[in-house]
Amino acid sequence: MQKTAVFSQVNFVEVFSTKQGAVFQSDSEYCWYIDFAGKLARFDYRNLLKLRQAINNIDIEQILLNSGKTADVEIIFICACDHCYVLSLLEVIAMKELLSGTFVMLELNHIIQDRLFRIVA
Amino acid sequence: MKDIMRIKCLLSSDVETLLNQQIKKEALSSSIYLSMASWCNRNGYDFSSDYFFKQAEEERHHQLKFYKYVLDMGGNAISPEVTDIKLEYNSFREVFEEALDQEISVTQSIKNIAARCHKEQDYVTLEFLNWFFKEQREEEYKARRALELFEVIGEEGTGRWQIDKHVGQIKYDSEA
Repeated sequence: MQKTAVFSQVNFVEVFSTKQGAVFQSDSEYCWYIDFAGKLARFDYRNLLKLRQAINNIDIEQILLNSGKTADVEIIFICACDHCYVLSLLEVIAMKELLSGTFVMLELNHIIQDRLFRIVA
Repeated sequence: MKDIMRIKCLLSSDVETLLNQQIKKEALSSSIYLSMASWCNRNGYDFSSDYFFKQAEEERHHQLKFYKYVLDMGGNAISPEVTDIKLEYNSFREVFEEALDQEISVTQSIKNIAARCHKEQDYVTLEFLNWFFKEQREEEYKARRALELFEVIGEEGTGRWQIDKHVGQIKYDSEA
């Protein structure tokens, strides 16, 4: 969470990253940027929650056990959001890992903010 | 780094999920009462039918209270889908037995939310829930009292007619 990167005059703070991708927070815009599957996409609060839900709703086990001939590609489309992801099963798993890590870090940030600033100050 | 999650919403995702489950439960309750009102009306228990119509409205009111609270706190209130409502009952008494069961399950589920709030120190939601605890005292009392009428009046002869007449008069006005 300490690393900062400047990207076209927007201040990013890295929230969480894995080998496959990373999530950055922009304090000035109140949003998050997700660097994943070859693109950097902007998500506001509502859309980030919707993305998490969409990813969590994918039944990975069912897809693994599915012996049909359909491609194991998931299209993740979020209502009222400019972005859509077309992910293979491996990418879905990676995305899930990235998002769950992100939410853990956001929760941790919440606890830190509470303990360091809100309660003490 | 700003705590955007907290800035946008007071509720934790766990509490929000529980509140949405409760919204569904209240909606289900309301529909069940409506179905009971229909059954009572069809079988000639008009006072009980009115009683259940009123209960259905109250449950709907509870549902909206939860619904608005979730929205006011920045959460996402989900309009629930209600299915599988029982249409037929075996007896007049069974209707009231199920009404009490329903109220007990609502009380237990609100207690469960409160337990979660305690764990998270979410005193804001806890305070909001207090109104419901008081309400549940009344709801359970009324449902229990209705069943008691079956014991004290008895179902023989004109018993059911008497019970029906008295159901409409059940009141809870404890100051405690």
